[in-house]
This record gives sequence, C-alpha cells and structure tokens, in this order.
Amino acid sequence: MSIAHKETTMETRITTTTAARPTAVTSPGGGPRRGVNREGLEAGKRSTRTILWILLAASLVLYGFPFVYLLLTSFKTPIDTIAVPPTILPKEWTVVNYMNALGRGGVVASIINSVQTAVISTLLSLLLAVPAAYGITRYKTLSGRVFIMAALVTRMVPPVAIGIPLASMMASVGMSDTPIALAIAHTTISLPLSIWLMSSFFEAVPRDLEEAATVDGCSRLGALWRVVVPVVSGGIAVTAIFAFLASWNEFLFALLMTAIRSQTTPVVIANFQTQFGLDWGSMTALAAVYSIPVILLTLLLQRKIVAGMTLGAVKG
Amino acid sequence: MSSRKTISRLVAIGGICTAVVLAATGCGAGGPAASGSTASNTINVLVEAGGHAELAGVADVCKKETGIEANFVELPYEGLFNRLSSEFSSGNVSFDVAALDSVWIPSFKDAVQPIDELFTDEAKKDIFPALVKEANVNGHFIGMPAWTNAEIILYRKDLFEDAKNKADFKAKYGYELAAPTTWKQYQDISEFFTKDGMFGTDVKGAVETEWLAHVLQAGSPMVLDDKNNVVIDNAAHKEALDFYTSLVKSAPSGAAQVDWAAAQNLFNQGKTAMTRFWAHAYRQIPKDAAVFGKVGAAPMIGGSAGVAGVPGPWYLSVPKATKNSDAAKKFIKCAYDHNDLGIESKLGLAARISAFEKYQDKPGYESFKPLIQTLNAKATATRPATAKWQQIVDTVLTPTLQKAVAGGDSSALLAEAKTKVQALLK
Repeated sequence: MSIAHKETTMETRITTTTAARPTAVTSPGGGPRRGVNREGLEAGKRSTRTILWILLAASLVLYGFPFVYLLLTSFKTPIDTIAVPPTILPKEWTVVNYMNALGRGGVVASIINSVQTAVISTLLSLLLAVPAAYGITRYKTLSGRVFIMAALVTRMVPPVAIGIPLASMMASVGMSDTPIALAIAHTTISLPLSIWLMSSFFEAVPRDLEEAATVDGCSRLGALWRVVVPVVSGGIAVTAIFAFLASWNEFLFALLMTAIRSQTTPVVIANFQTQFGLDWGSMTALAAVYSIPVILLTLLLQRKIVAGMTLGAVKG
Repeated sequence: MSSRKTISRLVAIGGICTAVVLAATGCGAGGPAASGSTASNTINVLVEAGGHAELAGVADVCKKETGIEANFVELPYEGLFNRLSSEFSSGNVSFDVAALDSVWIPSFKDAVQPIDELFTDEAKKDIFPALVKEANVNGHFIGMPAWTNAEIILYRKDLFEDAKNKADFKAKYGYELAAPTTWKQYQDISEFFTKDGMFGTDVKGAVETEWLAHVLQAGSPMVLDDKNNVVIDNAAHKEALDFYTSLVKSAPSGAAQVDWAAAQNLFNQGKTAMTRFWAHAYRQIPKDAAVFGKVGAAPMIGGSAGVAGVPGPWYLSVPKATKNSDAAKKFIKCAYDHNDLGIESKLGLAARISAFEKYQDKPGYESFKPLIQTLNAKATATRPATAKWQQIVDTVLTPTLQKAVAGGDSSALLAEAKTKVQALLK
C-alpha cells in the first residue's frame, strides 16, 4: 500500500468517526425537525435546550466577563476606574489609558522581548518534545515510562524553587538578562506538558501507517517526518499554542531573570501597581493590547487546534 | 492544501522566524545588558516601579554634572524583594544602586556597603531624625534616604467650612469644627459626618501601619522595645487598638478588607469626610474626582505622647558585590544634592527637610507642612529593625487587626499576638 493511500485511509477513518457522531437534524426550512433524536443544544426537549443554553451562557459569562471588564476598564477615566461601587460601562469613553501605557518607556521593547522569548521557547519545546514523545510512545520501555513520569513530576515543582538557581546559573555563564536565557527557563515549564500532549497525539496514530511507510522504503525517521508528523500536525499546533502561552504569560522567571535588555511585558504590566497606587487604566490598556497577539494566534490556528483535540479524543 | 505542504510552510516560516529571532536576541530590545559589575560611568539602578519617577529627573541632572548615566530596572514592589534576595544571596548582582524600602534594611544590611562619607553633619541636620537613626546600622550608614512619606490627615475642607455643619457640630460637641488634632476630636468628627450615606472616616483592617502610628501616639514603641522584647500586649497597644476599632461605627462596612487602595478610593469618591493617609495622596487626587480642590491637609493626630507617624522612606544603597562602587556613590551623592527634583515628579516626594520646605508655601503643596510636622514629631519612629518584620506583619499584625475590627476582644487578641511574635523571633 502506498503512503498516499495510507494517508487517505487515515483521513477516511477520522472522517468516519466524526460522521458517526450525532448531528443536528434540520428540516428543509433550516429549523430542527420534531421527533428526531437530537443531542446538545439541538435537543428536542425544550427544557433540555433551555438548560443547555443557560449553562452555555453562564460559561460564557464566567470565562468572558473578566476580559470584557478589563477591556471596558481600559476605556474609563481615572476616577471611573476606581468608582465605588464599580461600574461596568465607562461613563466617558477615553483612549488616554492606551496613550499612557504605550507611551511609557520600555513598553514597546518589552513586547518585542515577549515575542522573542515566546517564539524561541515554543520552538525549543517542540524540538525537544516531538522526538521525546515519539520515542516514548513507539518504544514502550521501562526507561520511557520512568522518563515520562519524571517529566510530570517536574511540573509539580514550584517554579520559584528553580527560578533563583536558574537565574544564578544563567548569570554565571554570562547569559543573564537575555531573551534566550528566559526562553530556556520557560521551556522548563512547557516541556513536560508538551511531551505529555504529544505522547497522547502519537498514541492515536496507528502503527500500521509507519509500517506501511517503511515497507515503501522509508526509514523510521523518514516515516516520522513524512507520515506521522503530518497526521499529528493539529496536535503540534495545540502543543505549540500551550508552549507559547506558557511563555507569553509567564511572570516569575521574567521577574528574576530580566532587567534592562530583556524585560517582558507581564513584568511591565505589574509595574503599574506600585507601593503608592494602582494605575488601573494603563494597566488594563496594556493588558488588552498584550492579549491581542494570543487571540489572533488562537483564531488563526483554531481549525488545527480543534483537529488536534479531535485526534486525541478518538484514540484507541 | 495537503498536510505536507502545510508542514513544509510551517517549517520554513519557523526557520526564518528562528533566524531572525536568534539574530535579534544577541542585543535584546530593551537596551544595554544589565551587567552591573564592571567599572564604568554607566550604572544600573534597581528601583520599585513607583519610585522610578522620583529618580528620573535626578538621573538627567547627574548625567550632565557627573557624566554618570543611570539605567533603571523597574520592578513591582513584591518582585523587587525577591529579586534583591536572590541576587544578594548569589553574590552576583546586576545592579550598582538599589532603592530599598526601609523595612528591608535589616534583611539586606550585610549585603550593602557603608556610605558614611555621604552623611556629613550638614546632611544629618537636613534629614528627618527618624531616618538618620534608621539608616545607621551597627555604627555605619548604609542607605541614603531618597524620598519619604508619612500619614497625615486629609479632610473635606468644603464640608468642614460649611456654615451649617459648623453650627450643628458646635451645638452637638461643644467646640468648633476644625481639622482634628486629637483622638477624641477624630472620633467626634467621624461620628458627626456619618450620615446621609456618607461616612466620617475609613478603618483600614488590612494594613497595620496606621494602628502602629496610634501606638506611637499612645507612648509605646511598636511591637518590640529597644531590647527586642515583645511589648505588643502593653496598655498603649490596647489603647491604640481600642481607639482604632471605635471608629468602625463611623466607617464603611467591611473594614477588615479595607487597605490603602480602598481607603484612597473611598475618599476620592467623596464617600468619607476624613482619612488618615500617606501624604503623597494629596497631590494625586484625580482632577475629575468629586473631591478635587475640596481637600485640606493637617498633621497626623496625637495621643497622650503627642503627634506621631510611621515614616515610609526608601534608601539608596550600594551592594558590596558591585565593581562600580565609585560611580554608584557619586550617583547617590548627586541624588542627595538634587533631592528636591523628586518633588516635581508624579509621586512628588523628597527626603531632605530643606527640599520639602522649599515647596511648602507653593500652591498645590499644602500637604508638605503637615508632613514635615508629622515627620519631625518627637514620637515619630521607624519600624523595628528586625529581618522578621514583614513576617510579623503578614502573619500576626494584620490578622490581629482584622479580627479586632470585626469585633474581637482586644486584650485576648494582643495576648495571642504576643505569643506568636515571640515564636517568630526565637
């Protein structure tokens, strides 16, 4: 069987699995048809539908309200940001907070630093996690199992416990206050999770695929690169997102390891809270700006993320 | 588009990104490296974010006068302590001058070098007595005050000057309505203005400094005496705590959770008629606030020992580990010489008496005279010099205060607090 045929088989299998799921049944007019067994928000019973919609709305409010409130606060005047009791909508809309935040010295540099650090950290995580996870899932050895458990254990160590020694080590090798040093530190956070995530994605890929590839003349690495990696590309996207976010939002290591040259934006955002007061408006404005790249990245990779999650969900 | 093409594109984009990023990483985006340990005319100054503005003007002048360029590393308050701890303990510092909160002096006293030569007789006369005492550790001066603060009384001038309020107050309490100078007056005025949805004052249960100022006013050292005996259960502490909790009925509910930010908000929103607050807040009232232009300032109130406050100074210190000591000390000397420049900053504070006096009669600086009086008061004292102070505050003083403002028995709470503080100091 050719590799292309095998890929098609895999895609068909996933499509079949997806197709087997209950889907909304619509009438020719587009509305749901009565008497058909439907699930989720398209459920036939009105009470079920109502409950589900309420739950959905509650979840949306729970997750979305803090960000919406942050966004609205960023457009409030200084006195409006500290109103007692708090108000949701600004009494007077202003962009002065954005001007203050972005005009503050070091903010633009910090955003560049954040991008540098997060990209390097994500690439490092993927470069290490993909082969590690592949090895663990394909060669089911005792050492592999110990390794993956050990990777999990490192997630349980409080970052502050390794932050200070790591900062000293970086300083001793002349790498203090550099994005690369911070990226390495961030990789220690994201790597264990990346390995675990990638392991679950590799588990979902049938061995038959690689065997077919090797029969067709591929080496093991060739099969990994030409067959397995394309199949788990959604999983790689999911892992990349998690690794990127872990670095993008990280605060403690950035606090301990950066100074003038490589300070990242989370530290700058925190600097709006001083011993003498809290500049809510500027803080929320910069936080809103800082969240834009992540939102865009998530939207851009949305299809890959969903595909990756589906891949993990149908394994076995 | 096939998966393989997608992967190829991602790899290509990733490769380009990596190359660009790694190339850019060589110099970073923020400026020069924070090496901090090589002798040069450039120094790194580690400072809390709020204090940066205080030194920015000074740095410009010092560059012109001495040729020393200061790069500031700004960190949030909590993070600054962690950073200082980690770098001092490793012996590898990335800064040449550090701005230290006064409560950190005992913790870092062995990591910074003496700067006795900067404390001339003239300088010692121009710095508030409590600060001169605090900066001197084991016979050496280890930090030059850069700016200081203290709590004063901020009150609603418009309400105090209102004819009806004046008449009603006199009829009820038998004396003229004016800015309070004693505990009794503060209680009366707080009670008087607690009406029609407004409150006379706030009670801050989540921060301990104000209660400790009242302890000084009652004639006792704060928590520890000069021999490090725990005196938190003495009569003055109880008297101060009882006064503090007596104001709860004239304050907004939820006193246990009220901290500096909440109290400042309440006052700026016009919800309270008076507040005991750090002097810098007078100049930070937003122009669109309900109380803008209607606020008066007075010295901190006094108890049996008179007026007293707890100063909140920051000191500039030179780490022992820096190799740039000379430039660092020159910068500190320059910062002292031009200390008044800090007053022009957003925070608007200084450390030298002469700097405050230079501005005290100018419009907009009405809080300076009360601040000078409070800082010069005989009973004013800095916090006890123990490295465990922050721990005592977090684990004993604040919880004790929160229980007290919630209605707890003051004697029992102070006795319990004494045991806990003693255990911490063992």
